[in-house]
Amino acid sequence: MHLAHLRLRDFRNYPRLDVDFAPGFHVLLGDNAQGKTNILEAIYLMATLRSFRGVGGSQMVRHGQKGYFVGGKAVGQGEHEIKMYWSTAERKLSLDNQPVRKLGDYFGALRVVIFCTEDLQLVKGPSRARRRFIDLLLSQTYPSYLPLLQRYAQALRSRNALLKQRTPDDAALESFSNELVKLGNEIIRMRVELIPKLSPLARLAYRRISNDAEELRLEYQPSVKKDFVVELAQSRRREQTYRSTLIGPHRDEILLQLNDRSAAQFGSEGQKRTLAIALKMAQAEYLTGIHGSAPILLIDDVMGELDVKRRSGLLPLLERAHHTRGQVFMTCTEENWPRELGRDLQRWEVKAGALKKL
Amino acid sequence: MASLPQPIADLIGTLSRLPGIGPRSAERLALHLVQSDASEVKQLAETLVNARERVQTCSICGSLTEQSPCTMCSDPRRDAALICLVERPTDIISIEKSGTFRGKYHVLGGKISPLNGVDPEDLRIGELESRLTTEPIKEIVIALGTDVEGDATSNYLAKRLARPGLRITRIAHGLPAGSGLEFADELTLTHALAGRREME
Repeated sequence: MHLAHLRLRDFRNYPRLDVDFAPGFHVLLGDNAQGKTNILEAIYLMATLRSFRGVGGSQMVRHGQKGYFVGGKAVGQGEHEIKMYWSTAERKLSLDNQPVRKLGDYFGALRVVIFCTEDLQLVKGPSRARRRFIDLLLSQTYPSYLPLLQRYAQALRSRNALLKQRTPDDAALESFSNELVKLGNEIIRMRVELIPKLSPLARLAYRRISNDAEELRLEYQPSVKKDFVVELAQSRRREQTYRSTLIGPHRDEILLQLNDRSAAQFGSEGQKRTLAIALKMAQAEYLTGIHGSAPILLIDDVMGELDVKRRSGLLPLLERAHHTRGQVFMTCTEENWPRELGRDLQRWEVKAGALKKL
Repeated sequence: MASLPQPIADLIGTLSRLPGIGPRSAERLALHLVQSDASEVKQLAETLVNARERVQTCSICGSLTEQSPCTMCSDPRRDAALICLVERPTDIISIEKSGTFRGKYHVLGGKISPLNGVDPEDLRIGELESRLTTEPIKEIVIALGTDVEGDATSNYLAKRLARPGLRITRIAHGLPAGSGLEFADELTLTHALAGRREME
């Protein structure tokens, strides 16, 4: 899969940009604050409808403008034309010139994996960051997962609203509990299936890029231990105190362990960094395995943070993306771009919101 | 900038409270009305008042009607043992168009929606319960939507309405008629598979 064309209007520091990209390895070179990461952000936005910097739409609009436009042509098994427009007054998203009605139909037109400094949150951050990682991966591989997750969120919000009433109607509460359990069990089932497939990929990736011999293991810790119905009923008393639903997939945790010890608690800074990258590599490997073609890899300055040994562990993944006619985008400053990557690089100079092929 | 005369501004304000009418549409309608023939506008106003005065909800089923009880509730050819439960009066029209349902109706007037502050007590469930005691009802067909709130409400009703000798069913959902599998999303297919039936 690769992105053949990118078009930006009033996005971040780009007034207008139209650029064609071939498959292969693209290096975006330039000084700080020239707009290198903004290119990655736009590509990530098309794939996931979110910014990986965790900001809302208004922050991505060029200063003083009303809205931004991001569009592109993704070439995978077929060709897809993506157009999105955002302003405070309206949002538009179209795939192949048809407005997108269901997001489940949209995801998959463009698949990306990003490597960025925010990845460290996967290890250090709250469990929400890890659930989001798993949810994105499942949404990228099963079209039915996202609607399921949205339905679950709706049932959860409704149930919480009931719990916040002064005297909740027990029968109404029970009918929403039924929905919550039915949808929640399905989510748990899909997560249970995913983690054992992801864990060995992450372990291999970790071993490849780390200097030490620690064994990485991912362990799914569902908030529901055995029976959602029974445990939900048991939590009723505590629910009355907290006035919100206390168990369910929205409280799940994915434990990251190095030699059976929690990486978040006992890992060194370097180990955490390596672990975050290993998770992303596992994501890319998993997507490649499922879809038969590599996702587009977006690498934001992470290489600069790694020593040569760790960098070289990342190389096979990047080279394979290259061989399978995949695509890699990587931002670097002139000093730290990885010369070991060889000759086949397509180099771009990013300067003040414009791209120039070198 | 000169502002609009007060009566026009008032009209825009009133019109924009109608469903599906935004500020732009309201302005266009208002400007059209104040420039039309006075007799036409008068006729429109009369039609509005007339429609509102003559239409009421049926005291039995809750549908929109000119006389209460409505023609469907008083029609002896309809099967009084069979009640179809719908969310809104307009759903009756959809089902009637299919021409296959020969029972009577009951309009719930919404669905349980904690996020919008709609409790079971805000729905016409009590009315249905009293119908169960006075009418020879054998089966209730729940015909609510399949979103989370529709599902939860159906769940709730099945429990609350349960009594000996009363069948409670829910309309099937699955593949749309006359289309191929490729057009169905996964959730629909999952439901359709779960609700499969023996070939006759």
